[in-house]
Amino acid sequence: MGRARAGPLMLLSTALLVPWVSGAVLVALDGRRRVVAWLAVASLAATLAVLGVLAADVLTEGAREVVTGGWPAGVGIVLRADALGVVFASLSVLVLLAAAAHEAVGGVRSRTFPGLVVLLGAGLTGLFVTADVFSFYVFFELAMTASYPLSAYGGKRRQLRAAVVFTAVNLLGSFIFLLSVAGAYRVTGALAMDRVAERMPAVTPNAALLIAAGFFIAFSVKLGLFPFHFWLPTVYAGARPAVAAILSGAVANIGAYGLLRFGADLFPEQLRHAGVALVVLGAASVVYGGVLAVARGDAAEMLAYSAIGQVGYVLVALGVGGPVGLTAAVLYSVVNSLNKALLFLVSGMRGALVAAAFAVGALSVAGVPPAAGFVGKLELFRTGVVAGSVALVVLLLVGGALSLVYLFQVYQRRFWRPDPSATGAASPLPQRLSAAVLALVVLAVGLWPEPLLVIGGHAVDALLAVDTP
Amino acid sequence: MILAFALAAAVLFGSGAYLLLKRDLVRMVAGIMLISQSAVVTIIAASLGRGRAAIGVGPGDGVSDPLPQALALTALVIGLATVALLLALVHRAIVVFRTAEQDELAATEAEHEAGLQRQRQADLEETGTGEEAETRVEKENRVWGERGRGR
Repeated sequence: MGRARAGPLMLLSTALLVPWVSGAVLVALDGRRRVVAWLAVASLAATLAVLGVLAADVLTEGAREVVTGGWPAGVGIVLRADALGVVFASLSVLVLLAAAAHEAVGGVRSRTFPGLVVLLGAGLTGLFVTADVFSFYVFFELAMTASYPLSAYGGKRRQLRAAVVFTAVNLLGSFIFLLSVAGAYRVTGALAMDRVAERMPAVTPNAALLIAAGFFIAFSVKLGLFPFHFWLPTVYAGARPAVAAILSGAVANIGAYGLLRFGADLFPEQLRHAGVALVVLGAASVVYGGVLAVARGDAAEMLAYSAIGQVGYVLVALGVGGPVGLTAAVLYSVVNSLNKALLFLVSGMRGALVAAAFAVGALSVAGVPPAAGFVGKLELFRTGVVAGSVALVVLLLVGGALSLVYLFQVYQRRFWRPDPSATGAASPLPQRLSAAVLALVVLAVGLWPEPLLVIGGHAVDALLAVDTP
Repeated sequence: MILAFALAAAVLFGSGAYLLLKRDLVRMVAGIMLISQSAVVTIIAASLGRGRAAIGVGPGDGVSDPLPQALALTALVIGLATVALLLALVHRAIVVFRTAEQDELAATEAEHEAGLQRQRQADLEETGTGEEAETRVEKENRVWGERGRGR
């Protein structure tokens, strides 16, 4: 029990406990009071700081592992922070922080909102640092349970309908995930991820494929990929802007992370076999999302369909696979969640600064430099070139063109109307500033992409590394 | 034994899926409940070794793996909590919408759709496609308005 063991244990448990404890306390308080809202923002900021320290630790020292409760490894639940998990955890908490700050400035409308956002942060953080399939499910449900009432935030009829649809569909996805966990335990007799990965190759191919398909469906429902997207437009367009930002920028990360972690780590064999199918599904998502986004007039609905299109790119990169494809998938997930959070937050606001922030987000989605999206798109093009497929490169170009069309169509409607009655009055200045800050983050990532690229590389190394117990 | 469990899980899942496709919100919740139970049954079945009892073990007999029973308990509790939450949401929706039919909920979209008409009209004015477009928009607005008042 030297310092060597105490370090990661302290960091990991702090990262989990800070949002957990503060969330539990904040839920009991009246969230409409300004103090409580800002306390929630503060605790999310603290979580982000701890995760930042943890990330620095992981990137320099390699993955950190802790077995809970002092059990021997293999009996106790293993918490394992590697580069991929830490990246996704920090990103999700950043998005939650932006959304919570946005609401805190504008005035929270319900008692539970701040506490729920913090609890969602607790669930997400746990999910990204666990190395055990069943505790992944438990954290997954913790995060989702917090997000169900969040999707009803606002309490108007549209929000309620969004919440009912979101809850029903995602519960179904959760139970399909649970069925796959049961199957994985049945065929491997293990729950720790590295052991499942070790024993998977020995399993009969049919059973393994079935289990992998179950996981794939569960995560695709979360992401809103093409055949599982039916719920997404209703929910994203019906929820309030801050909630839509949380759902698309933080909750959807569960799907992206799950596909990467379970696909590349636990079922590499099945992922390779299904490569072509994944690329086709991803391409269908890209085209479908893009075309429908052009057809819809409403900003929120346009963004919802755009989200379907954007996750298609992640799936395409995953389908191509290999180090290049996985790197592109990680980077694009990160960039996409920043873009979507920014655009959804901005979609509820008005004013000159807001227009600028929207333009930055739009350029980033389309992949125009200097915004962050350019880095993601560049990696995707590399994937296309590595795969040696002309069709892929053409698809990327078409997708980019479509996203330019639909985003600037909405931009023109929102910010270039000649009569002010159509555009409405400007939002309060602090809120506009918060959007501008997030836009600056997107720009900064695009202008100085080196850290992101390095982290992405580390994350993929962690995925592809042969697990040494 | 495994066959019995597999059949039970399959029947539960099938009935759940059937109920999910109903138009009534409460039936939909019942369907999700059944599917959650099917997942629990599957977890218990994951521990069955051939000829080893999961419950009612005599002294000296081999026992089956206890871990999935712990998992099943956890899954049951989580399932209960989430389904309770869904029921509360559905109850709230029924109070607000005064109906338990999915279609009626979907009709609220029509009202939202009507709100978008103003945007479309502004578009048409900008592109200058003139009179006939405007009358069409007005007609649509009237139709939506009547539907909205009908609720």
